[in-house]
Amino acid sequence: MAIAIMLITGIAGAGIYVMKLRADNATLKANQIKLESAVEEQNKVLEQQKKDFTAILESNKKLNVLINTFKKDLQDLDKRFTKKNRDIGKLALERTKSIERIVNGGGKNAARCIELASGAEHTEEELKATLKSEINPECPALANPNYVPFQ
Amino acid sequence: MYHFNKILAVAFIVLLTGCSIGGEKKIKIFSVEQPREKLNYEMPTPLQMEEIYWHIITSENAEEVFKKLEESGIDPVLFGITDKDFQVLARNFAQIRQKLQETNSLLEEYKKYYEGTEEKKDVDVQN
Repeated sequence: MAIAIMLITGIAGAGIYVMKLRADNATLKANQIKLESAVEEQNKVLEQQKKDFTAILESNKKLNVLINTFKKDLQDLDKRFTKKNRDIGKLALERTKSIERIVNGGGKNAARCIELASGAEHTEEELKATLKSEINPECPALANPNYVPFQ
Repeated sequence: MYHFNKILAVAFIVLLTGCSIGGEKKIKIFSVEQPREKLNYEMPTPLQMEEIYWHIITSENAEEVFKKLEESGIDPVLFGITDKDFQVLARNFAQIRQKLQETNSLLEEYKKYYEGTEEKKDVDVQN
């Protein structure tokens, strides 16, 4: 009788143990799936971060180039007034009509630069300009993207 | 009578537990990320500048200039600046233009960065 009880208890214990193992196995499998998907998600996030950093670097580079262009434009503007000890007041006294024409031309170009800076479309002429005589000297980098200044 | 009581007891148990035979449906809670609505402002309308004419007046041509103004029906009055101030004005204009260009470029870069990323996210979700 005692042997029978021990046998039954043993079989029952073994059954319960097997069931526990199966339950553990199922839990581990579920965990594995979750971990794999988490790793995949993390990889996606890392990839996206990499792309974002590249985009930020590119954007910074672009804006730095733009700011350097601004500095050069201002220097060029100063040069136009003071090149070779030029005195625009004296020049205006000597050649009033031609300076008036130059000043009005410059004013027109400067106004066009403001239009372009505010988002106006380029004209075909502006896009095609590659010679110094064809460009808008007030803002060549903005007005004439295809013009490469001679260094 | 004994059997009747048994049947009654079973019926009573079925009555109490009957609804749970099929099991209650589990409520599933899941979250869906709703992307933020895009602002979608149109880019500002480009400026259209009006033309102005610069008169250069010297002590020699002043009379001629005023005479011409009168002949053209324009009030013979001019608002003047010196050659030095003209340089300052040109520089100020250039700085305003550059600020405008910088702001527009920043706006475009922000738009490209954030809206471009949103589009990429949408593609990722679809995949």
